Amino acid sequence: MCSVDSLFLSGNEAIARGALRAGVTFACGYPGTPSTEILEVLSATADRDGRVQAEWCINEKVALETAIGASLAGARSLVTMKHVGLNVAADPFMTLSLTGVNAALVIVSADDPGMHSSQNEQDNRNFAKFAKVPMLEPADSQEAYEFVAEACALAEEFDVPVLLRSTTRVSHGRSRVVARAPVAFAPRSYERSIDKFVMMPQFARQRNRLVLERLAKLRERAERTPLNVLEAGTADLGIISSGAAYTYAREAFPKAWFLKLGMSHPLPVEKVAKLYRSVSRVAVVEELDPFIEDQVRALGLPVVGKEAIPADGELDQEIVFAALEPYLTRRPPRRRRPVMPPAARISAPVPAEPQLPVRPPVLCAGCPHRAVFAMLRKHKVSPLGDIGCYTLGALSPLDSLDSCLCMGASIGMMAGMNKVLGRRAVAAVLGDSTFFHSGVTPLIDARYNETDGIVLVLDNRTTAMTGHQGHPGTGVHLDRSAGPALDIERLCQGIGVRCETVDALDTEAFESALKRELGAQGLGVIVAFAPCALMAPGEQQLTVDEERCNLCGLCLDIGCPALAPGETAVEVSAACHGCGVCAAVCKRGALSVAGEPAGTP
Amino acid sequence: MNGTTTVSFVGVGGQGVLLAANILAQTAMAQGYDVKASEVKGMAQRGGSVLSTVRFGKLVWSPLARHADVVIATELLEGRRALPLLAPQGALICARTIISPGSVLRGETQYPQDIEAAAAARSVTLLLVDAEAVARQAGTVRAANVALLGAASAKLPFNEAAWQQGLAAAIPAKILDVNQRAFALGREAHLNEEVTL
Ligand SMILES: Cc1ncc(C[n+]2csc(CCOP(=O)(O)OP(=O)(O)O)c2C)c(N)n1
Repeated sequence: MCSVDSLFLSGNEAIARGALRAGVTFACGYPGTPSTEILEVLSATADRDGRVQAEWCINEKVALETAIGASLAGARSLVTMKHVGLNVAADPFMTLSLTGVNAALVIVSADDPGMHSSQNEQDNRNFAKFAKVPMLEPADSQEAYEFVAEACALAEEFDVPVLLRSTTRVSHGRSRVVARAPVAFAPRSYERSIDKFVMMPQFARQRNRLVLERLAKLRERAERTPLNVLEAGTADLGIISSGAAYTYAREAFPKAWFLKLGMSHPLPVEKVAKLYRSVSRVAVVEELDPFIEDQVRALGLPVVGKEAIPADGELDQEIVFAALEPYLTRRPPRRRRPVMPPAARISAPVPAEPQLPVRPPVLCAGCPHRAVFAMLRKHKVSPLGDIGCYTLGALSPLDSLDSCLCMGASIGMMAGMNKVLGRRAVAAVLGDSTFFHSGVTPLIDARYNETDGIVLVLDNRTTAMTGHQGHPGTGVHLDRSAGPALDIERLCQGIGVRCETVDALDTEAFESALKRELGAQGLGVIVAFAPCALMAPGEQQLTVDEERCNLCGLCLDIGCPALAPGETAVEVSAACHGCGVCAAVCKRGALSVAGEPAGTP
Repeated sequence: MNGTTTVSFVGVGGQGVLLAANILAQTAMAQGYDVKASEVKGMAQRGGSVLSTVRFGKLVWSPLARHADVVIATELLEGRRALPLLAPQGALICARTIISPGSVLRGETQYPQDIEAAAAARSVTLLLVDAEAVARQAGTVRAANVALLGAASAKLPFNEAAWQQGLAAAIPAKILDVNQRAFALGREAHLNEEVTL
């Protein structure tokens, strides 16, 4: 029996309640043992107080992207999955480390040592190191409950997603939980910030330096956090451990010293050194990989690890006792002083020649993407974006794209943002190749989860960014032979999503389709169709009426490399494709095109 | 470094910088040198600054170098930007082509006019080439990159046969003719300029 003010909860129930206590208002994930109950409990509990939106997503990648959208929108967010789910979500996860978050974002990875219900036994602690993000590892339900709020606080303080790593025995183990008061935190709102959220090379390079600086600061925090405790003992044995393994080791060696790591990445090396000053024998007790052990060895310290503790399967106190007991009677190793790792050097930015105008990449002359962005800008739609040539629409002067995380992220992020900010706050834009790569699943997810929003597919009939490869929408194979071409509009019909295809370069048609969507409800797709200018040379000629042109600059403001201000009127260079986008924005009718259009649907 | 010569090609994405670099690499191989080259593709090709490096010598290890002995620039601003790549006594062979970046077109920044002074200040030998005019004379302005390479060729340690092999190896047969003409015209026009390695 437990007392009135304490509950007897599984780790997963505790994480769910911990999320509510931490002010999490958006949660999603994809089921997988041993993570599944977190969202089910959260949803059941949240139904009662109504503050939290929780949903199953179509897969872990879409779930993470949706949670990222919610975090950007200002909601503390949680996303749950089993260990292998993080493989599916690895693309957004790895770059999320660069962008950081807005409101807290906690990623729960529930690992399954022993493979009770899994196809492999991967140790997801490696993902924390891989992505250079902090990781918390609860050892029981009380910690599972409290660590969610700790993770949220870390996420917001360090602008970083936090990995909350559980294992089967934590998630499905049960123990006493004393409830704590809800935590207070400052609300956050969304602001466009392309150097933070559009990870094209020039911005990603800057963010990457911040990631390394942040890692150094997180190292300092790991030394000071009360989650990492040096527990004094009476035996000449020190054990470094985390998570469920800690409970086994504690029971096996009640008199040992312990370095108990609640925040197990980055490793607090000073605390490790302190343990080595207190005892002459140290062991690392951890399930699966020698994650901590390798780092201790790198300090030049003698340690008992995977030569004694199995590198596969689950541990328990008997395994741990039998494994370490022989070492207690052996002569302890000669004490050695740790060799502290030097701070990593971060390369200096390449110094630019001062006063020289920079030349960032731009959309080509005649690029149909420009027509779409010019129109979106006119209607004050700044969508979440994706990766392709069209990512360049984020830059001045078009300024019409807010994010670029990884391929296929735009729709999931839109879903998360719109769920938090209200029905159709933002739109999404992605290319045709990106749509087939990983835009279909989030679109199905949006339909399933009844997400509202406008999705624009920029269908230039090719994978332009990487050099014009075919894809399922074109049917063009690697050897350029023709295969079956999938029709996006019919695909949308098949999943029950409203879809309209328009000629991206037909200003009137495109504008009326956009207006129809802007006035509509629910979920809609516009396929803005026009072949890549590099593949369909234009036959049209642009002429400038020098009498009418007053150099107002409207046409220059679409960022076309073929237009330049002349002495008395704009000048058109040989690069012009005659796409007519400039003519469409000219208010004085000074620009006109004649001839055959570059391509029609 | 270590008897290796580094030639860097700079320009604007879409100008054929990578092709010009490949012709040089093929030529150096035809001449019997060991060659390494590296280039950056992808987003950089969309009208941004591009850089491609070719290194040749008896035995070349690294495909990359911070500094170049010769820079071949298909555009004036990019040539100006590349000056810090050159050691004193290095040579910049630069087309007179001007492609204004967006910030200049919109009047936010100024296109630099100081390439001659800046090259002199660094003791860099400068050869300005009217590459587009030469290419037009050969038949197409699109061969400006190859015309420029022709102008640079007289200053590089390769014989005529090696250049011809390099051109044929790197350029599609359909457009080889016009490019050979552009190369020859560029080479003739600048044979007597004083740029030596
Ligand atoms: C996971 C992953 N695979 C491949 C790439 C390389 N890549 C970047 S954009 C892109 C596709 C762009 O094609 P599309 O969406 O049609 O846009 P476009 O460039 O034609 O405008 C690819 C394959 C990537 N960034 N991420």
